[in-house]
Amino acid sequence: MDHIVEEKLGGRLIADWVRGAHLHFANDEAREKYGARAQLIIDTIRLKDTGKIPVIPAATQKFAFDYGPVTFREAMTDFDKVFDAYVRQYEDTDFDAYVGPEFIFPAGMFEALRWNRVRLPGVHLPDDKSFQFVEAEYMKAEEYDEYLDDPSDWILRKYLPRLSPELEPLAQLPPLRNMVAFFQGLPDLVLAAAENPGVVDAMKALQASGQAVQEWFDYLGRIDQELGGRLALPHLLGPMAHAPFDIISNYYRGWRGTIVDMYTRPEKMIALMERLLPWQLQYGIDGAKALGQPIVTLYLYKGAEGFMSEEQYEELYWPTLKKLILGLVDEGLLVWIFTQGKYDSRLHHFKEIPAGTCLIHLESATDAFAAKEVLAGSQCIEGNVSSSLLATGSVDEVEAYCVKLAEVCGRGGGFMMDFSAFLDEAKRENVKKMIAVARAYRGDGEPGRI
Amino acid sequence: MPEALIDAIVGMRMDEAVTLAKRMLDSGTDPLAIIADSSKAMEVIGRRFAEGEAFLPELIMGGEIMKSISEEVMPGGAGAVPEGSRGTIVIGTVHGDIHDIGKDIVALMLGIEGYAVHDLGIDVPVEDFVAAIKERDADIVGLSGLLTLAFDAMRSTVDGIAAAGLRDKVKIMVGGAPVDESVRAYTGADGWGNNVGHAVKLAAEWTDGDA
Repeated sequence: MDHIVEEKLGGRLIADWVRGAHLHFANDEAREKYGARAQLIIDTIRLKDTGKIPVIPAATQKFAFDYGPVTFREAMTDFDKVFDAYVRQYEDTDFDAYVGPEFIFPAGMFEALRWNRVRLPGVHLPDDKSFQFVEAEYMKAEEYDEYLDDPSDWILRKYLPRLSPELEPLAQLPPLRNMVAFFQGLPDLVLAAAENPGVVDAMKALQASGQAVQEWFDYLGRIDQELGGRLALPHLLGPMAHAPFDIISNYYRGWRGTIVDMYTRPEKMIALMERLLPWQLQYGIDGAKALGQPIVTLYLYKGAEGFMSEEQYEELYWPTLKKLILGLVDEGLLVWIFTQGKYDSRLHHFKEIPAGTCLIHLESATDAFAAKEVLAGSQCIEGNVSSSLLATGSVDEVEAYCVKLAEVCGRGGGFMMDFSAFLDEAKRENVKKMIAVARAYRGDGEPGRI
Repeated sequence: MPEALIDAIVGMRMDEAVTLAKRMLDSGTDPLAIIADSSKAMEVIGRRFAEGEAFLPELIMGGEIMKSISEEVMPGGAGAVPEGSRGTIVIGTVHGDIHDIGKDIVALMLGIEGYAVHDLGIDVPVEDFVAAIKERDADIVGLSGLLTLAFDAMRSTVDGIAAAGLRDKVKIMVGGAPVDESVRAYTGADGWGNNVGHAVKLAAEWTDGDA
């Protein structure tokens, strides 16, 4: 059985990731420490009772920036400055892995295109506020068939022009599917470009946006080398994929539009989700290959209890999500499933996935102690330490909660300590206490031995 | 006919509900009576939601159906939800935060519950809250936020309301997924909630003395 797993993509990637094949280690000590941490993370996901509780960071934003200090605006523009802030944060803490600024996208990427799905610090918001996504109706209800018929055409000539005024000229291009006949339809295409100088400007805007991304990728690579190679922290957040339902809701139809569709055209939604499924699966696999990272992350949005009923979850949300997870697991990959919001009643579904393949993040709205009962022997859980508690609570309050988490959820393995959500306002002493509680865990199964 | 309309709305059958409303209008029913029937349907949905029998999609879909009906029977008319009598509430997402789903639902439910709700939208500056409290003679203020970064904005909004001399005039609730008692204490608000039920219960306690 092990032999078969090893031959899969995931098995190869896990082996490479654990030995840090992509890193240049500062010294043997860093190499050894890195390998031990990475192996502990894999073993914990695999539900081995290691007697230890790894500590991981869901993601840190302002908490990291304050080590600079840098503002949110600077974090999106001054990469050298924010690089130092992240390094200092991880030097000052004792995590077993790192999540960097993968979500602090470069402002230039958005600004060059005047991307309207985002509100940026320094542009729409004060410099010290987080950028935020706008959820709107970018796809009209009557466009399902158009999308299903020719998704790339809809994306090129409808979606992109709606997301960016710089890309509006792309709407003037002819459908590329017409480029099949006399001279491959070349006259139509080139005429559209010649008659619409904006098409050329759109390409220039894409180029400018891309240059910002090049700089950003270079900086993410430097962070990986510094945090992985020198501070011996495995990188936890790499390849990603999306639940098909969330793509429709977050990116195409908006939440209101999605709800109307749930009642008036559920069959179209299902058809679109089935269409998205193999692409998302391939996207996750390709990302894992490109980054050499065996853990694919899925952030879940609209499946939480507050958003829909269990029946709606089972009919519309879970089926394509399950197929996506199973597809990734079938490649030997591990899946970090980031549930957001209250997820108690949905957790039992993760037992339908082969045991020891998923890492389930829980926010504080979900009962971690009940989750342990539901998922023990099935999937590893992590998270749940309230961001509000870390921001406004006392060290003693943090300690009391984390000790209980370690005792109940840590028992028998399959648990990692982590906070509930992206960390902004949090007291350093509280975060350090959370880490210290996990470090003190000895895992002998005796209650109170923390 | 009113029963059929209510049934269609509660059953989430949008086309049928709008067709029925049109038919009622054509046969001489007062548009305001049609809106009132639609409101009754929303009350049913709201009650089921409060009891955990209906979910967010029903609430939002009910609101969408109601919007379609009111556009059909009273084009260009006033909002579909009648002004409430239980009290006046000013609500908004605090400055620096643009999340609106939770705030919208709380506003919708409070409207169904019989309050006059004035929704100031998202990323609302302190002075806009202050102005709205004065202008609307508000009883309750709802400050919404999804980000932990919103805590400071909530606190400065509460401070701003106090600085304007309005603190004793209004009860203030803070709400959002990460909000808890520690956040209430930090912001200086009177109550907190992290779901729509909390908001409705708090408002009732403050205006009616309900438990």
